[in-house]
Amino acid sequence: MTAHGTPRNHDHAHRWPEISFQDRMDTVRFDVHERAHIVVDGSKCEGCSTQHCVVACPANLFVPTSDGGIVFNYEQCFECGTCYLVCNVEGAITWTYPDGGHGVVFRRT
Amino acid sequence: MDDRSLTTTDCDVVVVGAGPAGTCAAIVLARAGLDVVLLERGPFPGSKNMYGGVVYPRILDELIPSWWEEAPVQRWVTRRSTMVLTPDQALTVDFRSQRWGAPPYNGATAYRPDFDHWLAAHAEAAGAQLVCSTTVTGLLRDAGGRVVGVRTDRPDGDLRTRLVIACDGVNSFLAKEAGLYPPVDAANYTLGVKETLALPKDVIDERFGVRGREGVDIEILGGTGGVNGGGFVYTNLDTVAVGAVLKLPKLAAQRRRPEEIIAGLKSHPAIAPLVEGAEVKEYSAHLIPEAGLSMMPRLAGDGMLVAGDAAAMCLAAGIWLEGVNFAMASGMYAGRAAVEALRAGDLSTAGLAGYERRLSSTFVLRDHRKLRRAPSLVLSDRVQHVYPELITSVVERMFRVDNPAPKPGLRRIVRDETKRLGVRTRDLVRDGIDGLRSFG
Amino acid sequence: MTAVPSTAPAVVAVCLKWTPSPFDGGPLGPDEGDDRFAGVSPADRAALELALQLSDAIGASVTAIAAGPSAADRVLRDAVAAGATRAVRLDMAAGSDSRDVAFELAQVVADACVVLCGDYSLDRGSGAVPAFVAHHRRCAQALGLVSVDVTASASSVAGAPDGELTIHAVRRLDGGRREVLAVPTPCVLSVEGSVASLRRAPLRRALAARSAPVEVIATPPAHHHGAPAIVTPYRPRARTMPAPAGEDVLGRLRALTDAGTSGGRGETVELAPREAAARIVDTLRGWGYLD
Ligand SMILES: Cc1cc2nc3c(=O)[nH]c(=O)nc-3n(C[C@H](O)[C@H](O)[C@H](O)COP(=O)(O)OP(=O)(O)OC[C@H]3O[C@@H](n4cnc5c(N)ncnc54)[C@H](O)[C@@H]3O)c2cc1C
Ligand code: SF4
Ligand code: SF4
Repeated sequence: MTAHGTPRNHDHAHRWPEISFQDRMDTVRFDVHERAHIVVDGSKCEGCSTQHCVVACPANLFVPTSDGGIVFNYEQCFECGTCYLVCNVEGAITWTYPDGGHGVVFRRT
Repeated sequence: MDDRSLTTTDCDVVVVGAGPAGTCAAIVLARAGLDVVLLERGPFPGSKNMYGGVVYPRILDELIPSWWEEAPVQRWVTRRSTMVLTPDQALTVDFRSQRWGAPPYNGATAYRPDFDHWLAAHAEAAGAQLVCSTTVTGLLRDAGGRVVGVRTDRPDGDLRTRLVIACDGVNSFLAKEAGLYPPVDAANYTLGVKETLALPKDVIDERFGVRGREGVDIEILGGTGGVNGGGFVYTNLDTVAVGAVLKLPKLAAQRRRPEEIIAGLKSHPAIAPLVEGAEVKEYSAHLIPEAGLSMMPRLAGDGMLVAGDAAAMCLAAGIWLEGVNFAMASGMYAGRAAVEALRAGDLSTAGLAGYERRLSSTFVLRDHRKLRRAPSLVLSDRVQHVYPELITSVVERMFRVDNPAPKPGLRRIVRDETKRLGVRTRDLVRDGIDGLRSFG
Repeated sequence: MTAVPSTAPAVVAVCLKWTPSPFDGGPLGPDEGDDRFAGVSPADRAALELALQLSDAIGASVTAIAAGPSAADRVLRDAVAAGATRAVRLDMAAGSDSRDVAFELAQVVADACVVLCGDYSLDRGSGAVPAFVAHHRRCAQALGLVSVDVTASASSVAGAPDGELTIHAVRRLDGGRREVLAVPTPCVLSVEGSVASLRRAPLRRALAARSAPVEVIATPPAHHHGAPAIVTPYRPRARTMPAPAGEDVLGRLRALTDAGTSGGRGETVELAPREAAARIVDTLRGWGYLD
C-alpha cells in the first residue's frame, strides 16, 4: 500500500493540449444519415424545469435557448441512450437507432 | 419472395447484435450445424461498441482454444491498481503479477472495434451468416404473443425464425418490446465516457512501470466530483484510456458535464503525471447496466432469449467492471440452451429454461448473486463522498511525522477522523458489515 | 419497360473504385490497409444506383467491376446485394496506373451499352479512368454529369429508328452553366455523387450476396496501354502576374475571381469538335498554361 501526500510543486493545470468541444467531437467518426434518428419536441421542453439532457448528453447536443426551449442536433450522437433515460417529460424525445450502417463508428475504444 | 407462408422460417435462429454476447451465441449455434443469421446495425462488428478497456477472455478457452495467440490484444494486464482519490490525496493498492503476462493470461487491454470484429470472424468461419449495416427495429409475433422473427430496416426486411436471441446491448429495445423488463429506472444505469490519449509506447512503459506487452489497469474510486461513480485508466500499446463512469440521475442533477469530469480526473495530482502531454485521439461514450441482479429482465420468453448487457449481465461492482466476459459466457450458454431446445422442438419459455439453469450453475449468475449488494453499496453517498476522505486522512495521519509530538495510535486517529467527518459509528459498522457481505 | 432490340441482353456496367480508406481518419490518421474502413466514394455509389435504375428501365443486366485486391470483393458483393447481376474484380494493387486500370476495364465492359463511373475517387485520383475507357472503346463519353434522366433515356429507344438508346443528361459547365446532352450509346458516363443515392439492399439479397461469386481476372503487370502519358492534372509554373485592377480589396477580388460578372473572362463559342479543341489549346497557351 502506498500513500501519495499532498502535491508540492505540482502545477497540474494545463499540462496537456487544450481542446475545444468541437475539436473533441471531431476526433469521432460519424457516417451521418439524412434521417434524424432522435427527434426532440421543443414545445415539450418549454415546460421542463430540469433540462437534465443539457448537462448529461456526452456529445453536448442539447442546447438551451433564451426562451426556455431546446435546440437539438442529431448528427454527432454516440447513440448511448442517456438523454431518453434522464428526460422526465413524456414524449419530449423520440429515440431510435440510426439506419443500419450509419451513425457513430468507433475505432480505438 | 415475400409470400412465404406463415409457417415456414428463413432460418433456425436470428441473433441480434454482433457484440461479444451475440457472437458467442452464433458460434455455438453455427458449430452445432444450425442455420443462424447474426444481425448487426454497425458497418462492422465492434463499430458501435465502447468500454473501459480490459477483457478477461478465459471463457473463450471453451470456444477458441489458444485464443491468446490470435486475439487482437494491446497489452496483457500484469499490474492492477485500485485508487481512492480525494481532491489532493490518493491511496493506491497496487498489485503486480508476472504470471498474468504469460499464457493462459488473465486480463488484456484491447480495442472493441478490433476485438469484436475478430470474434465475429470466428462466427462467420463457423458458418453463421453475419449481415452488418442492418438495424433490427422490432419483433414479429404470432397471435399468441410468441416471438416468430424480427423486422429490420432493410427493404424486404422481415426475417422469420424459430428463435430470436436478443444480444442488442444495454438499451435492449427488443427485450423491452417483449415485455421481459421491469419498468426502466435511470438510476440503474451509469454513463461511461472516455478519452483515448496518444503517447509513445516507451513513454507509457516508463510512466506505468511496465515492459513489452505488459499493461496496467487502474480502477478509481472518487475523483468524479459530486457525481457518484468512478474512474479508470488503462494502458494500450501507444494510447492510454482515461474515463469516468457516472451515475445518471446524479450526473443530470448537477452542473459539471461529462468531459469536465474527465478533465478533473486527468488533472488530479495522482493521474496527471501519467497522462500529461497526451493528445485526445478519440472521445467516446456508452451506457452501462449497473444494477446487476436487481435490474435483470426475465431471461427467456416464448421464442426468445436475452443475453449480455441486454439482460444486464454486466458486473459493475466498484472495483470490478466486467461485462465482456459475462456477455461472452451468457451468449455461449444461450447458444447451448438454444441448441438443446431446437433439438427437443420446444422453444417455449419452459423449453428454454436450460439457459437460466446454466447461468445459475456458473460464474455468470453466481458472481451476480454473491455481489448483489455491491453496486448499490459502492455507489452509495457515504462510500462515494465520505469514506475516501476518511481513509486517506487516516493514512495521511499515520504516515505524517509530527515530531516532537509522538505518533498517535490508529484507534485514536480513526476516532478523530470519523468525528471530524461526521460519520456515525453505527453507519460505519453497518457499511463495514455490508461490505464484508457484499465482497466477502 | 422498353426492351433493347438486340439478340444479346443489354448490359449496363458500373466501375467501382475500391479505396482502402474512404475517410481521412481525423486525428487518428487514415485507417490505411484496414478492410473495415475500405469502401467506394459517394460518386461511385451514385453511379451504381443509376446503373440499377437504367437497367430496370431498359431491361438490362448490371455488371459491377472493381479493381483491387481480394478485400475489394466486399464492395462487389454489396453491389450484388443492391441488385447487380454480375461481379468482376480485376486483381490489381490499389493505386495502379490509371491507364492500366482503364485498359483492363475496357476489356470487361466491351459488351456494355453504357459504362457508368463516379466522377472522382476519394483518394484524389486523376479522374482520367472514364476518359481512357472511352478512348479504348472508341465510344462517346460524357463526364461530370449532374443529372441523368432515366425515363427520357429509356423512352429514346422506342423513338429511335434503329432502336438505339440515347442517354439524356446534364453536365456542369464553368460559371454555373449547364449543358443538356443527348449521348449516343455505347458510351462512358461519369456522374457526381449528388445524381442519385444508392438504395438499401433488401435483407434477403444481402444474405444471399454474402456468398455471391466474384469473377476474378488476373491482370498482367503494368504496361501503360497506348494512351497519352499525362495522367495527373497539369500544374502550371509560377509566374508573376500584375495585380488585378480594382478600386478596393473587394473590387480586386472580384476582378481576380470573376465573381459577380455574368460572362467573366470566359467566352462561349460554337465550333466543330476539332476546331473547338484547337481553340482551347490556343487559349490555354495564350494564358500561359501550355508551353
Ligand atoms: C465505459 C464502460 C467501461 C466498461 N469497461 C469494461 C471493462 O473494462 N471490461 C469489461 O469486461 N467490460 C466493460 N464494460 C462492459 C462491457 O462493455 C459490456 O458489458 C459488453 O460490451 C456487453 O456485451 P454485449 O455483447 O452484451 O453488448 P454490446 O457489446 O453492447 O453489443 C451489442 C451489439 O448489438 C448491436 N445492436 C444493438 N441494437 C441493435 C439492433 N436493434 N439491431 C442490430 N444490432 C443491434 C450493437 O451495435 C452492438 O454491436 C464497460 C462498459 C462501459 C460502457
Ligand atoms: S429533452 Fe427532456 S430533459 Fe431535455 S429539456 Fe426537453 S423535456 Fe427537459
Ligand atoms: S443518445 Fe447520447 S449522445 Fe445521443 S443525444 Fe442522447 S445523450 Fe446525447
